Amino acid sequence: MQALGFILRRTLLLAVVLLVVSLLTFGIVNVLPGDVATAVLGDMATPEQAAALRERLGLDEPLAQRYLAWLTALLQGDFGTSLQHGQPIAPLLMGRLGNSAILGLLTLTIAAPLAVALGIVAALRPGGLLDRLIGAIAVGAYALPEYVIGLLAILAFSIWLPVLPGTSLMDPNENPLARPEALVLPVCVLITGMLAFISQITRASMIQVMASPYVRTAILKGVPFRRVVLKHALPNLLPPTITEIGMYLGYVIGGLVVVETLFSYAGLGQLVTNAVSYRDVPVIQATVLLVAAAYGIGNLLADVVALLLTPRLRA
Amino acid sequence: MNAIGQLAPPVLDVRNLSITYGPLRAVRGVSFSIAPGEALGLIGESGSGKSSVAYAVMRHIKGQATGTVRVDGQDIMTLSEPALARMRGRTAAMVYQDPMSALNPAIKVGEQIAEAIRLHRAADRSTAWTRAVALLERVHLPHPSEIAHRYPHQLSGGQQQRVVIAMALACQPRLLIMDEPTTGLDVTTEAVILELVNELRRETGVAVLFISHNMGVVAQVCDRVGVLYAGQLIEEGTTQQVLRTPRHPYTVALMRAMPAIGGPRRRLAAIPGRLPDLRTPPVGCVFSPRCAIAEATCHDVMPELDAAGHAGSTHHSRCHFQNEIHQRLPPEPLMEEEAVTTAVKGRPRLQMVDLCRSFRGRSALPFLRGPAPVRAVDHVTLDIPAGRTLAVVGESGSGKSTLARCVAGLIVPEAGDIRLEEAVLERLVQRRPRPAQQAVQFVFQNPDAALNPHRTVAEIVGRPMQLYGGLAGRALRRRVIEQLESVKLGERYLDLYPREMSGGEKQRVSIARAFAGHPRLVICDEPTSALDISVQAAILNELLALQRRHGTSYLFISHDLGVVRHVAHHVAIMRQGRIVESGSPAAVFGAPREAYTRALIAAIPTLEPRPQPVSLPT
Repeated sequence: MQALGFILRRTLLLAVVLLVVSLLTFGIVNVLPGDVATAVLGDMATPEQAAALRERLGLDEPLAQRYLAWLTALLQGDFGTSLQHGQPIAPLLMGRLGNSAILGLLTLTIAAPLAVALGIVAALRPGGLLDRLIGAIAVGAYALPEYVIGLLAILAFSIWLPVLPGTSLMDPNENPLARPEALVLPVCVLITGMLAFISQITRASMIQVMASPYVRTAILKGVPFRRVVLKHALPNLLPPTITEIGMYLGYVIGGLVVVETLFSYAGLGQLVTNAVSYRDVPVIQATVLLVAAAYGIGNLLADVVALLLTPRLRA
Repeated sequence: MNAIGQLAPPVLDVRNLSITYGPLRAVRGVSFSIAPGEALGLIGESGSGKSSVAYAVMRHIKGQATGTVRVDGQDIMTLSEPALARMRGRTAAMVYQDPMSALNPAIKVGEQIAEAIRLHRAADRSTAWTRAVALLERVHLPHPSEIAHRYPHQLSGGQQQRVVIAMALACQPRLLIMDEPTTGLDVTTEAVILELVNELRRETGVAVLFISHNMGVVAQVCDRVGVLYAGQLIEEGTTQQVLRTPRHPYTVALMRAMPAIGGPRRRLAAIPGRLPDLRTPPVGCVFSPRCAIAEATCHDVMPELDAAGHAGSTHHSRCHFQNEIHQRLPPEPLMEEEAVTTAVKGRPRLQMVDLCRSFRGRSALPFLRGPAPVRAVDHVTLDIPAGRTLAVVGESGSGKSTLARCVAGLIVPEAGDIRLEEAVLERLVQRRPRPAQQAVQFVFQNPDAALNPHRTVAEIVGRPMQLYGGLAGRALRRRVIEQLESVKLGERYLDLYPREMSGGEKQRVSIARAFAGHPRLVICDEPTSALDISVQAAILNELLALQRRHGTSYLFISHDLGVVRHVAHHVAIMRQGRIVESGSPAAVFGAPREAYTRALIAAIPTLEPRPQPVSLPT
């Protein structure tokens, strides 16, 4: 009951957040100085062309009315038409979303358990050799931006040691799973940053859990050390860590934009980068909203899982 | 020592145990043994090393231990890790101070018990579970098969401690180590837990090492008692011997510092000075720097733990003058009986009129009504005369702290008035005018949390003087020093930070701060519950002296009836938000009218073993 209430409350909150995000993206794109039509067409456009585009986009109507019209269409599944491709945005977006989701989910399923495991190993002997090694690598990896790691990876594994493709060069409608070797480097780059961050967060919580009185109880009950870690410490470590992973989703999405562009991977990140350079306003609006929704839902899911794993909260 | 104990080999034999934490010599040369079925109590204040000894028996300490510890004949100092794991929980098991944190919040309590059985008895899942349920029944938990499926947070403090005890008993250990098992529980809960421990001892014959700071609690459970001071065992004997005819000045001093519920009202005697620096313990007797009867030899020669009275006596004391301390020590000072027992004339200093405050739970689903609000303070009307103390006594959850916070203006009451000398006070402290804020001050339970760690003593105590008295510069400094001297701290404390002081010193600073602006009412919320008995005595005496000097009124919140009897002019017993009984301490403690008050008094662990279990009226 408590859990159900929590989910309901958070879902309502998410709806409010998305509404605000839609307002902000619409506002930023449409209210910023400069005329959208001129921005879209570039400096070489004639005033007639600009007027025609303004007419087509309905830019002459009042802002509030345009926002409402956009929102109503959105709620009915109509994301508008891409200026660049002249096609409806929704199918375009869905294909790309699938591709990005494959990249993102692969990263999550590999990095999350690995990061937690590394954090636990580091925490079992704080200040020990393994801890210092993991810590040093984590700090280094976290300090390097994705594009640097990405370029280094391309340099190392497709130029010096050409074992993996340095670019995906994929068609947006192609299934990325058909060519798994093209996924390796992008996923590895995304994993590196996540491992660094989540392992260090896990390490800190694990040290705290291992120092808790209930772990002492387990040790003095004669429970073997392995079992103390897995059965007594882990269930208390996971909920806060899962919440942290949920919060880290934002970084994963940010990393997707960089990595997809770097590897020419046909995902949402690449779509939005292209849309920005082509000033494809409807696509930018739709993508930003979709990304915000993905982040919000991911976060909510993480919190619900954490809640369900905590007996004190779920009852 | 009982007859079996003389013959059978001891269950626990500790020889010459010393523990160091870096340069700190926490325990030095402690030896004792416990026979099968016997209960030995180790008494000591904080820093005595009693918990270090307890955990050293399980070989679970951070420091370095030397000496031998034999549990059921096995020297645990030399055991391998797997052998140690087999010993822990099977031969010796432990019960902890705070059961809520000792139980794993993510595991059902039944499983926490069954796990030990599966590990040590190689039982299968269902057998272990059945046995776990039987153990829960054994510790008298209602509906054991249902409770086994619950998580720790779904149980009350007393029930949690029963679960911890059931877990400790799971593999029929020969030795039970109990580390302050009832500290933090309400007196009535404490009484039933102690009764349970006695019953289990009688029926299972388990030997007990019982660690406590509370002599009354130890007297309820133990056959023999050892007293630890600064890492040394300074006295040992049967419970009767040590607590009735103590042979060490420290033990005597502890008894004299302990507020009692019965007997003549005495002046509590604080122990002067503080614990010696354990990095460089004194060469002579460890207690000599604080001892009232110390002579030159005491400072130079460390006394041995020798038999007191006749040779071969079971009573041992580490004092050069153990056989003549009662002739040497000054007689115990009695309290001068208050002349004024008649009603104080004039308007009361503070009136609480029909105060109400409830707390609302959060609803499970949005837009739905939440659970019924809990009435923390339920139509409370009380007066405090000028220069007098009203003590509000209750168990946890009785609403006594909420009441104090309402008076302080930290919590807004829903109904009722708070009047200071007839003037109605604003409900919220921020809305009260300066003079009203100045008039009502607060001393909190935990000085660590109440004092700003980034401010020096001079700043903490000087702030109210600047605020209310407009003092500055030299004059301010002079007043701060005077104020510190009035709580027996001197000029040398001015530039110290809270972390550089002991708990007692910090509480003195809190009191100096509270009195700095000449308040008319000071609210003391459990001011001594976080302190050792000897320090508590000093703080209580200080509060009494300040009241006499300044005519301050106290609203004194406490769970400790002994303390209350010592400081209060008027007592109110609070339960579930209501005042169930009130009157003079003599009336309330001497002839309680309410069954609840009687149960509360009966539950207090005194030095006399209790003949029958206490039951709480529902």
